[in-house]
Formats: sequence, structure tokens, C-alpha cells
Amino acid sequence: MNRALAPEINLIDSISFPNVEQLKLDNGVPVYLLNEGVQDVVKIELMFKAGKWFESKNLIADFTNRMLREGTKNYSAKQIADTFDYYGANFNTSAGFETAGASLFSLTKHIDLLLPVFAEIFTESVFPENELNTILSNRKQRLSVDLKKNDFLANRNFLNALFGKNHPYGRVSEFEHFENIFVEDLKAFYKSYYSATNLTILVAGKFSPSLVDQLNKYFGSKNLLREVPAAPADYVIESSTELIHHTEKTDSVQSAIIIGNMSINKTHPDFLKLSVLNTVFGGYFGSRLMSNIREEKGYTYGIYSSFASYPHAGFIEIASEVGKDVRDATLKEIQHEINVLRTELIDAEELQVVKNYMCGKILRSIDGPLKFSETLKGLLIYNQDVTYIDQLLKTVREVTSEELLQLAQKYFDYDKMYKVTVG
Amino acid sequence: MIKFEETVLKNGLKVIVHEDAATTMAAVNILYKVGSRDEDVQQTGFAHLFEHFMFEGSKNIPEFDTPLQNAGGENNAFTSTDITNYYDILPANNLETAFWLESDRMLSLAFDEESLNTQKNVVMEEFKEHYINQPYGDVWHKMCALAYKVHPYQWPVIGLNLQHIEQVKMQSAKDFFFKYYRPNNAVLVVGGNVKAAEVFALAEKWFGEIPSGEKITRNLPKEPIQNEERVLEVKADVPVHSIYKAYKIGTRNSADFYATDLLRDILSNGDSSRLYRQLVKEEKLFSSISAYGTDSIDEGLLLVEGKLSKDVSMDAAESAIEKVLYEMTQEKISADELEKVKNKIEAYMVFSEVNVLNRVMNLAYFEMLGNAADVNNEAEKYRAVTAEQMQAAAAKVFRKENCNTIRYFSNN
Repeated sequence: MNRALAPEINLIDSISFPNVEQLKLDNGVPVYLLNEGVQDVVKIELMFKAGKWFESKNLIADFTNRMLREGTKNYSAKQIADTFDYYGANFNTSAGFETAGASLFSLTKHIDLLLPVFAEIFTESVFPENELNTILSNRKQRLSVDLKKNDFLANRNFLNALFGKNHPYGRVSEFEHFENIFVEDLKAFYKSYYSATNLTILVAGKFSPSLVDQLNKYFGSKNLLREVPAAPADYVIESSTELIHHTEKTDSVQSAIIIGNMSINKTHPDFLKLSVLNTVFGGYFGSRLMSNIREEKGYTYGIYSSFASYPHAGFIEIASEVGKDVRDATLKEIQHEINVLRTELIDAEELQVVKNYMCGKILRSIDGPLKFSETLKGLLIYNQDVTYIDQLLKTVREVTSEELLQLAQKYFDYDKMYKVTVG
Repeated sequence: MIKFEETVLKNGLKVIVHEDAATTMAAVNILYKVGSRDEDVQQTGFAHLFEHFMFEGSKNIPEFDTPLQNAGGENNAFTSTDITNYYDILPANNLETAFWLESDRMLSLAFDEESLNTQKNVVMEEFKEHYINQPYGDVWHKMCALAYKVHPYQWPVIGLNLQHIEQVKMQSAKDFFFKYYRPNNAVLVVGGNVKAAEVFALAEKWFGEIPSGEKITRNLPKEPIQNEERVLEVKADVPVHSIYKAYKIGTRNSADFYATDLLRDILSNGDSSRLYRQLVKEEKLFSSISAYGTDSIDEGLLLVEGKLSKDVSMDAAESAIEKVLYEMTQEKISADELEKVKNKIEAYMVFSEVNVLNRVMNLAYFEMLGNAADVNNEAEKYRAVTAEQMQAAAAKVFRKENCNTIRYFSNN
């Protein structure tokens, strides 16, 4: 047996998607069902257009979401926690730039018992003041700890430099913002944005078809429809005029680095090809940034690049934490890798590895209903469906080095990038 | 219920296969029975550094990651006090690529000097990122040293200091590899869209010829029974006072493991748990609090860690934690609360089986503990725990003279 010889590789040419059933509740709320699980578990995810984009002052979207577990008309925070915990369920809330919502993970056998409490959270939350005060002071404590972390600071400074402090993507939390959050703000935001009109439901796992009747009972009433305020007009982006933002920390042994600039988002026709180019550059463990800066130079434990995509903007971001003594050397190497990307064709072998890796990653992203529901959620935010994954697969298979070289010249320009360092 | 088949190769390699036709992927997990507890006190952090070195090329293959990525796969590894675990996940029809790669690095490494030096640097940056350049980053080093006086758990997996990593020599890597990375000291588990017969054939083909090593006998120094309260006070440039209380618990195989584990869930699993409800929500003494265990094979720790609310004194915070803990020694847990933590464990276990990679990792872990089949008995063992057993476990664990406390003060 010749151990130097690799076994033959089977390429992935097509993928078969797990079945997604799409329907509407009686009031029109769209529901996606991924009922192909093996284990007797179910995840129900509610997604509202209630992210940071829609808030009129900082942290309102975040705290409205965080307070969902803190009390409803019929259940106190304690009763909600007792109920979910008693049946071994996990209730998670999250708020992003665009959407906010919650998910419930439960054993299928308990879901009927949990639904009334879960549903009331989205129809009858009461935002008790005493609970809000506790959460507020705890979050201030957490912020004071986070502000001691270089990577946290670098991320704030980067978003601030890109978008300015008046844009929802660039606004970061300051202590004084916590003083300015009142129950009435949260109630108003909840009333405006957490309505059936604004809702999409994803259900994944292994469940009985009668679960749809339950969803209809709790979320399907026309009484839950409300007029949603007009979406805010686009905010003005006030990018910093300075490209270099350094915060010195004399006691640090490492510096956090974030480099990048505005770019396109998922809705742009170049985005799929660009995701292949980004993978080559810094999007996976075998990327050029990792190979050079971690695996050859040993400057860092990890370095990655990504094209962050949100409905109203996109940007490229290269991030790492490196030894303080090699901070400048790292910047030089990043610049060098960008120059190579802009001037040289990617060789066939390297591109093939990336293509094969990405095909495998696509397969993993739809493997099993719970994983698939996360992937689907990411698409729904952009009003896309699973055909997007097919397009990605096709792009990955067909894109050429020549096309990628053109994209590199169009989307990678070190001189135009913000360089944010802390430490 | 995780179904599996198993065999042992002539060289001692245990092979376990778990078929799951519902996935298109295959997961390959190799657990080596070696961790930081096997290190020399002069060369701590070595097992973890060595894990990095395992990706730096083997006898016949210059590099591990690229061929796996080329097969559409992804891989990673972790090191604990007791084990080093490697896994690959890839499309099932490319399974053999993982066998080719994993078997070659079990056969022998390339032992390239330059790669060792680079990985030393990478690990030193990892050390800095997680243990130096972080608020409270040094606390785990301090706690290990406080709680253990002779057992190798007295140093963290990352190592005691940067110098130990910097000073590693190639000869140590070779000795370590040929002692611990032998088929008789490993468990191979393959799961996913695979057939047991084919996997056994592949195992024989790729791993069958690898020579076995010496039988590993561990003579780790046994940690003496702690019989005095230990307290360390630290002042540092952190924004918030913090407290850490670590209580000694038994070994993974001890009879009261399950009762002790459920104590931790009573304390800190979910918003209804006692520490969060009483000390964060009701008394508002902490802005965050949690309890967790080290999950080690030898005598481990059950820790409570909390960040104090503004203007709360360390004494008040500490007595409040002790009150919650001592209450469990005095009063039996109610039937409802016991049922709750058992339901939580049950749900946790079912969810942990959703992912085929978790299933193969669990099989490997239980095989290392003694028997892979035990993975399917865990739920029952938790179900069988009584309130009396939990009270007894609490009385054994939550005693001042069994406790190691770090009072971590903000000097701001």
C-alpha cells in the first residue's frame, strides 16, 4: 500500500434538500416546516422584523427582546422559568441588526404543554420595571468587563469608524444609554414590532402535523395583526475620515486588529463569487491568511476574513489578535496577501481545494433539520429561499481564477481599508 | 439510544461504528488516552502543544488539513486534563480520505523542527489571548494551584507558563508520541452514513499494520484529602469584584457522581436554578453567577463563580453563596425540583444526540471510561438518583474545609 497516495475523492455535483413545507396561518403568518428529524425534538423559532434597525434610541430593540422572558399577563418571570425548566426546554432570545425573536427547543412530547406560555410571551408581555432594573444593572456590570477586552473594543471602534455613531450598525452601547431605557419605550417597541404582521415561524425536528393547528391557535388569529410603523428611511452613514484608529494599551501583551471597509451585501450579483474569493483569502482554516500568519509566522492563534452582510449594508472584515511585538508585521503581511490576491491568478490546485471544501460545507449546512433551519433563517432575512443554496453550489463549481482576480481588484483595496487596532 | 458495533484490531485499536442513514456525512473521531495529567511538572502544556503538532504533517503526508478540506471535510481537536480528541467530518463517500490521514499520523509524524517552532509560537499566542490578555484571565491558573498540591491537575491544560512551551524539544515530542499515540491507547469511532462491515475493513486496511506500544500504567500522585479551608485574595485591574469557590468532588467513576452532578444543575441550570433566582434576581447580590464542574476522571472540582453587583461586599457575597449551598445539606430537595433537573438532563441528552459528531464523540468518551455501551445507560443513572442521595452528596461536598476560594478584588 502506498501511503503517500491519497484515496480518490468523490466530488459533490448536486445536493438533495430536505423537504421544506411552506404554509400560512389563518392570519397570513408564513410558516416553514422541516419535519425530517430522527430524534424526538422540536425547535420553534419566531422571527420578527424587530432588530436594531427599527429602534429610535439605542438598545431598545436589544432590551425589548431580552425582557421577553421577564413576565407576561398571566405568568411571572419566575413562572416562565419554572415552566420551561421543568420540562427541560431551552428558551433563547436574540436580537440582531434586522430581526429579533426567540426560539424554543423542547422534547417533542412536551411541546403542547409549553406552547401556551411560549405564545403568551409574544402576545402579552408586560415588562415589569423591577425586572428591568435588575437586568439593566447586570448588563452595565457586563459592559464594564467587556470594555477591558481588546477584541471587544476593536469591534466597537471598527463599526463606529465604518458607520458613524448615528447609524444603527455603528452605534455601540455606552453606560449613559442604559440610564435612558424605560418600560414605556420597551412596551411601545413591542407593540409596534412584535406583531403577527411582522412574524415568520420556523419549525424543525420531528413533530406531529397537528402542531400546525396549535400554531394556528396561538399565532394564527387575525386579532394579532397590527399595523407596523413604516420602516425607517435609510440612515446616513458617517464614515470616519481617518483610516487609522489605534488605541494603545500599555499593559497588553497582544493587540486586537480589525481591518476592512464597506462592501456589497448578499443581494449583489457578485456576492456568491466573492464568497469563494473570501474563502481563499481568509475564510477557512486553510486560507492564505491562516497559512501565512498563523501556520508560517506563528503570529496569532487565529486570523479570519469575512464579508459581513446585512440588509442595508455589507462590509469586509479581517480580524485577529496577535502578539503586540508583531502587530505591524501582521499588518504588512495582510497587505501583502491582498496584493497577491489582486495581482496573481489563484492556481488551479488551491482553487479546487477551496471549491471542494465549500461544497462539503454546503452539505453540512443542510444536514439535519435543526442545522438546516439555521441556514434557512439566514436566507429568509433576505427574502431568499433554498434555490439560493443551489446557486451558491453552481457558482462554487463554475467560478474561474480569472473572474476571481477581477473581483479581487474590485473588492480588495488595502489602502482604502480602515485599520483598527487595540493593545 | 445510540446503536453501534465494535471490534478490536490485533494491535489493540478499539474500533466502533455507529450507522446513521439519515445523514449524508461521516464523522471520524479518534480519542487518545492522554492529557495534561500525563505531563511532567517541568513541561506543562505539552499534551496540548502536541495536539497542534499532530496537524503538521505525518510520515507520508506533508500536511493534514488540506487533503481533508479537498475531500469536503472539516476537522478539529481538543485536549483536556485526561484525553486528546481528534475529529473529522466529511461527506460519507469520501470517508477513506479520513482513514488515510488519521492512520498515517498514528503511524508516525514528520517531526519537522520548523513546524514545531511555529506551533510553539501559535500556542503561546493562544495562551496570551485566553489567559493573559483577558480580565480575570489568570484565575484558572491560580485555582488549579490552590486546589491541587500534588496531582497534575495543579496546572491548567494550556500549561503553567509560556517558558514551558517555549523550551519544548523535539525529543520530547518523539518520546510522547511513541508512548501515548499508539493504537492500543486509542479509540476510533466512525459514525454517519457508513456500513459497519466496510468501516471495519477500512480500519484493518489503514490501521492494522501500525505497531502497538507499551501498555500504559499510570502512577499519578494521589491528591491528599483536603482538610483545611483555603483562601486566596487577589487584587487586579478588573472592573468588578469576582468570587470563585471550588469544592473537591469524587472521581468520574465514583458512586455519587450522578447525585453530585445533579447538585450542580439545581444550583445553576436555567433561570429557575437556585443561584440565579436567589442571588441575582431576588437578593441582587450578583450580576452573574454560575456553577460548573471540571468533569475530570480523577478527583474533580465543582465550582461556583460569580461577579458581584455594584457596592456589594465580598463578605456578603460569599456568605450568600454558602447559605445557598449549605441549605442543600440541611434540607431535602423537593420532588418537583428533582424531577425538573432530571427532565433537564434527559432533554440535554436527547439534544446532544441530534448531531452525529456528538454521538461518535460520546461513544469514544464512554469507551475510554470503560465501556461504550454505558453511553446508553446514563439517562437511567440520573433517573435513579434520590433526594436523599443528593442531600448526602451535598453534605460531603459543601464543607468549608473542602473548599478553595479565590476572592478576586477590583482595584479600580
